[in-house]
Amino acid sequence: MLIERLIEALGAEAVKTSPEDLACYSFDAYSQGVLPSAVVLPSSAAQVSAVVKIARDLEEPIIARGSGTGLCGGAAPARAGVVLSFARMNQLIELDIENRRARIAPGLVNLQLSERIASTGFFYAPDPASQRASTIGGNIATNAGGPHCLAYGTTVNHVLALEIVDERGECFTTAVEDLGYDLTALLVGSEGTLGIVTSAWVRLLRIPPTTGVWLAAFPSIESASEAVSAIVGAGIVPTALEMMDATIVRAVESAYAAGYPADAAAVLLVESSGEPEEVASADAAIARIARAHGATKWQAATSAEQREALWRGRKGAAGAIGRIAPNYYTQDVCVPRTRLPEMLATVDDAAKQHGIVVGNVFHAGDGNLHPLLLYDKREKRQVAAVIEIGNIVLARAVELGGTISGEHGVGIEKRNGMSMVYRTEDLAAMANVRDLFDPHALLNPEKIFPSGISCREMRT
Amino acid sequence: MNDAAISAALADACAHHRPVALRAGGVFSGMHRSVIDADELDLRSRRAIREYEPRDLTIAVECGMTAAQLEQTLREHRQFLPLDAPDAPQASVGGILAAAWSGPRRHRYGRPRDLLIGSEFALADGTLARAGGMVVKNVAGYDLSRLFVGSMGSLALLLRANFKTLPLPESTRIFLAALPDGTRERAFSQVRNLRPEPAAAWWIAGYDREIDGDPGDDGRIAILLECDNALLERATLDWRAALGRAGIPETRLLDAGAHASFTRLLDAPMRLPGNNALSYRSPSLPSQALALADGIADVIDRFDMQRDLLVDIMNGDVTVRAVGDAASFTHVVGMLDDALHDRAPRARILAGGGEVHDRLDCFGLLPNALAQMRALKARFDPHGILNPGIAFFDGLHA
Repeated sequence: MLIERLIEALGAEAVKTSPEDLACYSFDAYSQGVLPSAVVLPSSAAQVSAVVKIARDLEEPIIARGSGTGLCGGAAPARAGVVLSFARMNQLIELDIENRRARIAPGLVNLQLSERIASTGFFYAPDPASQRASTIGGNIATNAGGPHCLAYGTTVNHVLALEIVDERGECFTTAVEDLGYDLTALLVGSEGTLGIVTSAWVRLLRIPPTTGVWLAAFPSIESASEAVSAIVGAGIVPTALEMMDATIVRAVESAYAAGYPADAAAVLLVESSGEPEEVASADAAIARIARAHGATKWQAATSAEQREALWRGRKGAAGAIGRIAPNYYTQDVCVPRTRLPEMLATVDDAAKQHGIVVGNVFHAGDGNLHPLLLYDKREKRQVAAVIEIGNIVLARAVELGGTISGEHGVGIEKRNGMSMVYRTEDLAAMANVRDLFDPHALLNPEKIFPSGISCREMRT
Repeated sequence: MNDAAISAALADACAHHRPVALRAGGVFSGMHRSVIDADELDLRSRRAIREYEPRDLTIAVECGMTAAQLEQTLREHRQFLPLDAPDAPQASVGGILAAAWSGPRRHRYGRPRDLLIGSEFALADGTLARAGGMVVKNVAGYDLSRLFVGSMGSLALLLRANFKTLPLPESTRIFLAALPDGTRERAFSQVRNLRPEPAAAWWIAGYDREIDGDPGDDGRIAILLECDNALLERATLDWRAALGRAGIPETRLLDAGAHASFTRLLDAPMRLPGNNALSYRSPSLPSQALALADGIADVIDRFDMQRDLLVDIMNGDVTVRAVGDAASFTHVVGMLDDALHDRAPRARILAGGGEVHDRLDCFGLLPNALAQMRALKARFDPHGILNPGIAFFDGLHA
């Protein structure tokens, strides 16, 4: 019945049901091995609405999906259902440079927006490392960040308005300028559990006239992280402030020859953008702090090619790790910036205790860590150790006043970690919203909220 | 009054279905309707800093803290929050968030909600809860902190707001210029394209007592530059050259007086000469702002009222103050309100209106998601305890 009705509504070419197709849409970086009942590729908000109405009639879950680059199972089905892929809704619908905004369909790949409007002198700021593949709809679902959100903020700061299909299949719109409750902010980061984004107005920024990129090498990860705290503490907010440890630096150099010093224990990648005088000021001030914290090298990228190479290394770090381990697990936590040294010490200690190699590559300026735990999934001891380290990292982040997810979302993987951050009353308030927007628990069910506690049970 | 006392007061009010009016600075009270028959909960004494680690660039404050106190605290550490509140000595952090106030620097630094990273709040039944935290990136769970922004205190009572702070710019300079006849459009265009970008910029017609600058045949402009010391003089040369290309021969610079001048600009729309006056603000796209301002001016001229106009060049907001004849104001203001909303459907009252305020269209065009907002109100405050009647989404005035 489900498949027939979907085909009737969208046409056979927009409905995928082969085992191979279902398998492809059953996971992101996380999987429970649950296959969807069907995959649909709508071409319009009206088709999204039709799919939601059919799924609701048949009590089938609906899982909205961008490119599936998430880490936590946010785009993976938890109990079958219909996966809504936005691969065909990928248009730049309207470009309004005069008012510095663009309307996009959710399937538009993040980087493509900036590339397509580059000639206008504007860009779209949120830039998750996955930006070559991830969609803006997916970025909206997770409130994605990226290296440059240190200066520009995360996705929620760049979404001006949303068109949403709700759990009944009805359409409504929200805008930051609207009177009343900030539903736009509520929907951004809600991981497809409150409604399905079918288009968005996003904010565009002017491309800065000057960009400086520098690399600083440190003799230890502690000295590098203390330098980060000192830079931010001095009131300097570069456009990006990224850290990589020795494991990552060597992997990146081996893969990309990005120009990183292979003998460094830690490397800071610093970017500052703005007017030439501002960039020069940042260069001088940050170099002074870096040297005061033991930096053995302070090197400027002197050409666009060098800048590109340094960033290629940073953004390709996770891929480069594939050369030195068969599997890796990325953790994502955020702590107050002054607690970075303690957090890194915990990661290091836990990895050593469990005999696991860890590579740290992260948004240091935001206190947003991404320890990559290297392992071989064929080795049960290593798998168990990685899970244990992941839990230690989550617990320590919360203990230090941080959170269990800085930019990748909660999904399935971290839902039980929510109880580490929030009390029952806090979760109940959120669950009340969930229950209101999705009373039948069909929109991306079994995500975000801890397992074993339903929205209804949690209602105050 | 501490959190526990507030919780107990709300729990008691909820148990007895007794409405509560939340009271803070009152600066934004003109932006909503009056609360209907409720006991007052005065939050003005809740002004403590709850957490502040300057090296983290984050701060948590109680929501009764005023914008001026917060600014002073941060300034001591060379930091700031661009709340851009009018009447900063009275405006509370909670009021700024409840009104979803956003000022002229938002295109550069974001709105107050963009800098909000967490909160603690009391629900209508007194339950204390929180969302977000003290980290600058946090995607664990729904963003309830921002959901409450714009709620006018009708969804929950914000107790504590956590913000990320920004480094204070080294230099602040205001550029004032009278516009010769026929230069307004060119000036507007040049200002929009200035490099470095202005922190804020206005076109002004009127407000001669409140806002600095000499009036020109085509109004006047005020532009705020916030930048590094190293950039200040070069930017000044470039800006003056750009304004010269728009036909503006002279600009006056304010350095020592820039902060005070900026404050007067923020305060002006809320300053009314008496009960026979009304201020509106209408959002629009920057490309449409001047046409909207002209349309609004035409409407007010039809009613033979004195008018002052302020156009936010970078964001598109059009603010107008209309002052009528004391004897007839009450009789004509309703017609003015209708006519103004015909031309500017999204116009919202900022202040004024006197005794007929609550009969006017405070809010302008209602949002498309009205049903969702009403459902949220019903879910979070089923007995209508919090600020009853204040807003359009609780149904009492619908």
